[in-house]
Amino acid sequence: MKKTVPLFIGIAFGCFAVAEFYIPHHHVGALSNEFRQWAAILAASAFILGGVNILQVTWPQIRRREPDWRYKVVLLVSAAIMLLVGLPWHKLGSPAKTPTVERAATADAELAARGKAAITVVVDDDVTFMIAGKSAAGTGRPVVTEVDPGEVEVKLSRRVAGYRPLTAKVTVAAGERATVHGDPPMIWGRDGRVFVWIYDHIFSPANATMFALLAFFVASAAFRAFRARNVEAALLLAAAIFMMLGRAPLGRAISDVLPDVAQWLLDVPSNGGRRAIMMGAAIGAIATGLRVILGIERSHLGSDS
Amino acid sequence: MSAEHWSAKLQRFDRRWIFLVMAVAVVVPLFVPLGLPARPDPMTKAAFNAVEALPSCGPDDVPPKCARVFVSIDLDPASTPEIEPFYRAVVLHLKRKNAKLVFATTWYQAPPLVDRYLRETIEAAIAPAGTDGYDGAADRPYRKGIDYVNLGFRDGKGAIIQAFGSDLRGAFDHRADDGTRLDRIAMLDGVNKLSDFDLIVLVSAGNPGAKEYVQYVGTRNKLPMIAACTAVSTTDLAPYYQTGQLIGLVAGMAGSAGYETLVGKPGAGTAGADVLNIGNLVVIAAIVFGNVVFFAGRRYQRRGRTS
Repeated sequence: MKKTVPLFIGIAFGCFAVAEFYIPHHHVGALSNEFRQWAAILAASAFILGGVNILQVTWPQIRRREPDWRYKVVLLVSAAIMLLVGLPWHKLGSPAKTPTVERAATADAELAARGKAAITVVVDDDVTFMIAGKSAAGTGRPVVTEVDPGEVEVKLSRRVAGYRPLTAKVTVAAGERATVHGDPPMIWGRDGRVFVWIYDHIFSPANATMFALLAFFVASAAFRAFRARNVEAALLLAAAIFMMLGRAPLGRAISDVLPDVAQWLLDVPSNGGRRAIMMGAAIGAIATGLRVILGIERSHLGSDS
Repeated sequence: MSAEHWSAKLQRFDRRWIFLVMAVAVVVPLFVPLGLPARPDPMTKAAFNAVEALPSCGPDDVPPKCARVFVSIDLDPASTPEIEPFYRAVVLHLKRKNAKLVFATTWYQAPPLVDRYLRETIEAAIAPAGTDGYDGAADRPYRKGIDYVNLGFRDGKGAIIQAFGSDLRGAFDHRADDGTRLDRIAMLDGVNKLSDFDLIVLVSAGNPGAKEYVQYVGTRNKLPMIAACTAVSTTDLAPYYQTGQLIGLVAGMAGSAGYETLVGKPGAGTAGADVLNIGNLVVIAAIVFGNVVFFAGRRYQRRGRTS
């Protein structure tokens, strides 16, 4: 039962996924969309399972003080921090959503004569503001902007990400002066300041560093391993040199032929070989898919033990 | 005991010297650019021409007068040096045509990057009038919900890409990333699936990405798609360009630099192409040097055996 039910579910959905390609009926399409929604939900829930799995795998290793257990602690603490800062804590409170608007008691005759109104924005110098579609930077001092009478949208945003912009619609009459001030509040969650800071200042540099190291390892491997030991290796080596020269602007500076040689290598031998591999892999995938759908291949259901 | 041959000593060459040379080769061109022209290859030109063929419209025009373009940003910070220059160049190209843009991502690492890109390149002008070294048409800040929509992130790899192909709105629960209902966004009127767009732009650093778009939805729906990929993925995607399943392919930093040249606004890709020039030369020098040492050592050993 433990294996039979999942097996039949796999067979049913597998057969439907194949059949759906050949039945252009809207009911079949709608059902197919529904199943894809299920797949998306399952994929999202895999993140939760992944978190639980990390805990199950690493916690016993930390308790047993296995080799490199300190790195596991770093892993768990980092994961916990990201989880905590990724939650929208700001929704628990009620931070301001609109800036404060104050109006002058008396109208300005000179402004009124010109058919204009004025909005004064008082914000810190790390805040930018937008009045009637025109943006400007805050200076810490009052900034006066003349606008046409009517409803004017004022938006205050911080220069850096992770703060909620404050927006207000201010209706001003000719000659009226209004003052807008506010402090865009910090938010939490995926768009929050702490999450974005960790992403920008820790994850991004670390991620880029790992990829950048490849350049050094490739250069080292080129010296140590890339040897013309036989004809095939010599051909590979020559093709690599032509590709490296031909794909960089330097290649064309040396000779106009080099980029053409590189393009030919990509278009003919490389694409031919790649296509053969892709078709072979596709046929293999079809065979494996059929084995799963027909219940011959059962390794994905796990072992009996 | 005979003295050790020079080739044997060099075989044990401390590889940190190579690291040092590579570091110099990467850093120096950033400060002392060679300035060699980055000429676009045929695949990059094809991608440019696909965007160029889209209709141009005014800032306040709406589809179908304006083109609607779906941009899938599937990358992480590691791949940004190679692909981000293309993204910036193609977005400037699209904004010059006032195309309506719809953004999405299938990479969980990407949303903060996408948010930054939207702030820097969509909500602000990339090349306003008077930009130094740029004599093309100026672009303008785009308005959220009017000129562009960010649908956000959806996980599900191949399955979710298939869902984009048949029910884009359903795949995002009928809401944009900021919670706005998609049926309240006028620029999306009549858009229900990927085939309703005039062009699909794939900024793709790996899996899921351009390959999955081609395999799951591109060919089935005959979608006009262009892609940018890292240099190592070029051989994966070039066959799709050859068959017409991708109508343009921008490969690695060299491709990005070529696209910048075509758009007329040199940027990080063009600067990076200088690093590529010298970096590739260092790798070639390492290959040649390694082989000289290898053959000298082999010759020495053969002589030793015969004498």
